[in-house]
Amino acid sequence: MADRIPMSDQDRRRHRALIVFQIVVYGAMIAMFFIQLQMFFVKEW
Amino acid sequence: MTLDLHEDESRRAQKSADRWLIVGSILMGSLVLGPLGLPVFCRGIYLLRKAQTAGLSVRPMMVTLIGYVIIIDAAINSIGWGLDVFANHALITRTIFTAWGNLMDGGYFWHYNELWIGGAGAPGEKSWIIICIVVVFPMRIAAGIAFLQMKRWGHQWMIVTCWFGLITWLGYIINMTMYADVRYAGVAFPVLGWWLYNIFYITPFLAIPYLHTVNREIFSD
Repeated sequence: MADRIPMSDQDRRRHRALIVFQIVVYGAMIAMFFIQLQMFFVKEW
Repeated sequence: MTLDLHEDESRRAQKSADRWLIVGSILMGSLVLGPLGLPVFCRGIYLLRKAQTAGLSVRPMMVTLIGYVIIIDAAINSIGWGLDVFANHALITRTIFTAWGNLMDGGYFWHYNELWIGGAGAPGEKSWIIICIVVVFPMRIAAGIAFLQMKRWGHQWMIVTCWFGLITWLGYIINMTMYADVRYAGVAFPVLGWWLYNIFYITPFLAIPYLHTVNREIFSD
């Protein structure tokens, strides 16, 4: 691993925004999975 | 050991590991020869690890794994979807693709070869296939090669292509959820079969946090 560099406040805010954004987009993907799963139980494919 | 000798040995170790890794990736990227490629690739990883523990300056393991996984992912999908667009009436495509479609994804079974362009007939599917094999996958392979060479633009384009991968997968999955009745009705393993098969292709964008936090100075101009 590369050496750790001290983080500035701006970097910390950027990282936090990146984490929040990722939770939202991965959440959307998981939501699609659950929608399909719900259909799977209801629709008798 | 002098600095020159150390550099020479490091370069030699990196080259020898890369030889195994490249051959393994080409075999795995060919889709059908995947099982032969994996042990070759693992031997490359073993050599790289050995060089690392011996104190030689070789490419970091995480960079190696991310770079090769991205290239293999793009190559495998290019072959599969390339066949769907350009060789959709070949016997192998008509047999394997529709059998696979019948197993877990009706998009490759329902009205297969019945659109004007041939191949998968599911609504929206063809657009994703074409945008991927024309734009996304070539971009991924180029980015992966430059990333493995530890170039600055390789790191930057790896970030671009990983975000593009996220957009592609989210769009693709939303599209197939909208047309779930086409994709899953009458197939052997609906939903769970598809997700189990595809999860390995979906996950490469999990490299995004690493790419944004790695010390970018290790990638040189």
